[in-house]
Amino acid sequence: MIRQLRTLPVVAVLLVLFLSLALAGCAPVGAPVAQPDAAATTAAPAEPATPKAGGVLIAARAADAKGLDPHVQTAFSSFRALEQIYEPLLRLNADMNVIPNLAESWAWSEDGKTLALTLRDNVKFHDGTPMTSADVKFSFERILNEATGAASRSFFTAIESIDTPDDYTVVFNLAAPNAALLAAVTNPNSAILSKAWLEGGADPAVDTNGTGPFKLKSWEPDNLMVLEANPDYWQAGLPYLAGIELRTIPDETSILAALRAGEVDWAIINDPRVGVTAATADLTLMRSPALAYHVLQLNATRPQFQDERVRLAISCAIDRQQVLDTASLGEGEVTAPATPLNYRAPLDELTCYTKDVERAQQLLADAGVSDVKFTMIAAADEPPTALAEAQNIQAQLEEIGVTAEIETLELGVYVDRWLKGDFDAAIALNGGNPDPDNMFYRYWHSTGNLNKVAGYSSPAIDALLDDARSTVDVAKRKELYLEIQKQLTAAAPWIWLYVGNEYRPMQKDVMGYTPLNNGSTVYLRETWLNR
Amino acid sequence: MSNLPVSDARGTTPLPEKSRRKGVFARLLRNWSGLVGLVLVSGYVFVALFAGFLAPYPPNAQHAVDRLQPPSSTYLLGTDEFGRDILSRVIFGAQNSLKVALSSVAIATLLGGALGMGAGYLGGAADNVTMRVVDLLFAFPAILLALFISAVLGPGERNTIIAISIVYLPIFARVTRASVLNVKDSDYVDAARSMGARDSRIIRWHILPNALAPIIVQISLALSWAILTEASLSFLGLGVVPPAPSWGAMLSEGRVLMELAPWTVFMPGVAIVVAILGFNLLGDGLRDVLDPKL
Amino acid sequence: MQRYILRRLLTLIPTLLGISIIVFLVMRLIPGDTISAMIGTQFKLTDAQAQALRAYFGLDKSLPEQYWGWLTAALQGNFGVSVRSGRSVLQEILSRFPLTFELALLATLIAVTVGIPIGLLSAARRGTLLDLGARSFALLGMALPSFLVGTLIIYFLSARLHILPNAGNYVSLWDDPLKNLTQMFFPALTLGLAFSASVMRTTRSAMLEQLNSDYLRTARAKGLPERMIVRRHALRNALIPIITIVGFEAGYLFGGAVIVEDVFALPGVGRLLLNAISQRDYALVQGTVIFIAFIFVLVNLLADIAYTFANPRIRYE
Repeated sequence: MIRQLRTLPVVAVLLVLFLSLALAGCAPVGAPVAQPDAAATTAAPAEPATPKAGGVLIAARAADAKGLDPHVQTAFSSFRALEQIYEPLLRLNADMNVIPNLAESWAWSEDGKTLALTLRDNVKFHDGTPMTSADVKFSFERILNEATGAASRSFFTAIESIDTPDDYTVVFNLAAPNAALLAAVTNPNSAILSKAWLEGGADPAVDTNGTGPFKLKSWEPDNLMVLEANPDYWQAGLPYLAGIELRTIPDETSILAALRAGEVDWAIINDPRVGVTAATADLTLMRSPALAYHVLQLNATRPQFQDERVRLAISCAIDRQQVLDTASLGEGEVTAPATPLNYRAPLDELTCYTKDVERAQQLLADAGVSDVKFTMIAAADEPPTALAEAQNIQAQLEEIGVTAEIETLELGVYVDRWLKGDFDAAIALNGGNPDPDNMFYRYWHSTGNLNKVAGYSSPAIDALLDDARSTVDVAKRKELYLEIQKQLTAAAPWIWLYVGNEYRPMQKDVMGYTPLNNGSTVYLRETWLNR
Repeated sequence: MSNLPVSDARGTTPLPEKSRRKGVFARLLRNWSGLVGLVLVSGYVFVALFAGFLAPYPPNAQHAVDRLQPPSSTYLLGTDEFGRDILSRVIFGAQNSLKVALSSVAIATLLGGALGMGAGYLGGAADNVTMRVVDLLFAFPAILLALFISAVLGPGERNTIIAISIVYLPIFARVTRASVLNVKDSDYVDAARSMGARDSRIIRWHILPNALAPIIVQISLALSWAILTEASLSFLGLGVVPPAPSWGAMLSEGRVLMELAPWTVFMPGVAIVVAILGFNLLGDGLRDVLDPKL
Repeated sequence: MQRYILRRLLTLIPTLLGISIIVFLVMRLIPGDTISAMIGTQFKLTDAQAQALRAYFGLDKSLPEQYWGWLTAALQGNFGVSVRSGRSVLQEILSRFPLTFELALLATLIAVTVGIPIGLLSAARRGTLLDLGARSFALLGMALPSFLVGTLIIYFLSARLHILPNAGNYVSLWDDPLKNLTQMFFPALTLGLAFSASVMRTTRSAMLEQLNSDYLRTARAKGLPERMIVRRHALRNALIPIITIVGFEAGYLFGGAVIVEDVFALPGVGRLLLNAISQRDYALVQGTVIFIAFIFVLVNLLADIAYTFANPRIRYE
């Protein structure tokens, strides 16, 4: 009897607890979530005039760099770290225009086949040795050397030879005019390394020696990377910061928590589901449309995708806006293959950008296949929405009887397989560039170093790419790239989805940072702490 | 959290079977916490078995237009970011977790029980070697072993079942062995043997019924742990492959949406707690009823 | 006594060997080409490191040979190289272990400081509302998975209260004790919750057993005040089984730490293991599993020895 009296209230207490838990779950969050606004950013407070030097910026992001060799790394998380340590000859400013960097000026020859760059004479590597044209020549030769496995090799295949008439002049001799070359030179994968350092036996995969505003002090992979200011940096007065601590916090909601608690000063948020909640009164949120694009890559060399009709059927069956809405909360816009606005094809001129299930089913019937099966690989971090995109695509494809399985891989493992083209399909976030040649050539040209990843090429597209690369007339280039985009979407080797936003939340007293549409964080060199 | 309760059966003098069974059930009904456990477990099993009938929507059906809705009359527990009905996913999640839990515990019971019984009955070197290996498996914290085996085999329902079975095998081996040892040298077994009864008969009619009580208690507790482990593994990214609904995976996916849609985390969370609690209470109740000396 | 301790410590050796054999065999279930594929382009090891790793796995040799090779290397402290960082596996583990140890220690402290008093009260006030509350707390504590508790804590503290519940930037205990403790508090609370529920239950039943025992009935009959009975006799005698259970169950915390470290993003051994698993860093997986199992066995052994000390009846066997 006593026992019953004892245990019954126990249960009652439990039930009360559960109900309260469940009710708490039903109530929407008290704190209002800022509704995503087209180009809204929580405005940075008006900047006081003089930057203050000193202080260490505590920065956080979810994925750590995967390695240190700037020529080889392709993960965005690697770029964000390496672009503080290494520099290319030129760089992009906030308007995505090419501006001088290690090279202070450049000049094209009349026929457009020679590019002469004048280097600054006050650039030093972190080991103290000065940078000269010999280092530039060496770096580009390293990139062009197939054995290096450089990610930007295809950008520079037009280079026939490199001359170094004096210590501070470099001349690129091209086989044909190349309108995209300047933009290609701004890529972090085109950084300048020290010839003496490499020839002396150093391994850039484990050591660093760059010209950048920050030096690598220590690195505990997946935990902490400590950068310290380069006192001999060629840009006088920069960087303002004494150092940067790049912390890897694998969960972006934890990063947000740390920001709110003041434990972290500045962060990279890639997940729009976290990004939208970062817009609060006590933080500055810089949100900018990205050039990087979300895409479902199909491997046209695999048996189930060799028939163009099958690929096109998949393209027609996917409502891209729905993928954007479910995976990224609608933060972004559906995009054509070329993401820079002045080259982006109008969506209605492309094949199957409107969902057409009937057409998809017709195409499958024409191709004579009834149950297409494939596996898509998705990386756990880049983009963080990969798994969500995959799940939505999987559900949409069920409507036309296509079975897609999802294989989630850790980023490093994913990149390895991606580079080898070892997949049926891959959910990817690929980098964008203001010049569409840099976006297309290395993937779609049959000689491109990433053509294996793209899994498709055609002589027609090859010709168009070569033509567009060497045409200097902007209007004509636009036409050519429009045609390329049409052909690409008609052959549907990839399903281009959307571009998202880049989120850079930071404390109110972090000043001087400018976000770039390609995600680059180079402006950390001009960032300072108002404390 | 990964507390594996080990029950060493001390056994009770076997009563004639029929009256013992009747007494047990009656006593269980009077034991309130056990009763609550029974109700919860029955509810859980019912939901899992009849998931197809009970769920208002297919668990993987995406209604993108209705995504991230709080609980409403159309979607009783709300929707997730794909517009999938959370109630349906919780219901089918019950089915998945029950499937994994039952399979793995069944395998562990049968294999472990056979091992333990064999070792106990045969004794000698066979006993020694078997129990050494079993003891080695005990040298790993349970969740670590499950994680390790899952990691090696890869994600997927089948591999999760294998991992959990291996982890729980040693417990059943020990429990059955202890029961066997308890009874092996008792008088009535000697009597049976001297009357010429075969080993198999002795095992079936004397040893097995005696071992049944602690095994049943252990099964209930093992099921509770199996549900927890399946949820933990799914939470960590092992376990079932998306988009199959699993409470742990739902919780993990919901984390990033906590501020926007907390129901995506709370609902599977409540489900997990109820299921585990149910089996814990039931196990406790059974232990009180079947084996009061524990 | 010392001989007893020595004997018990010696049993560690065959246990460790056994653990290593099991781990080794399970690892061999991974297809061989995966191991060579893990030395990929993104995690670039130096040639020397890649060679060392290949030699370490010795895939071309027979199974017993492979194990022997592994064992001799391990005895020299060589557990291979992490593909991710290039550092030795042992170094990686040892650099993370202090955090996990601290987490487990704090969780034990919390469990004991919460569980024992509540258990005592519960036993003393048996049948009252207090007892009910305590027992439902225990029931709930054992049914709440640590990843759920951790997620809820983070949500309520971070989203609603804007307090940081976890280590955004982890500082070690030596650098900044106060900050470290505030960072570790909630993870330790999460890890210790189920443990405290178990401690509470054990305390309660141990105390009840004492309070109802014969010798106490005699003391009461003799007229000794209840308080004195409780404090001098019941409590002291109950503590033995309580502490024993605490010692034996503390080892499980090292397993549970894996989940808590994941939820709170703490760079301990548990998260090292999870990273190693997802990165297919097999040498690191192998080393970490063996290490955690070793710690678990060690803790159990120490608890066993302590129990022997405390319980004079067994001491002289």
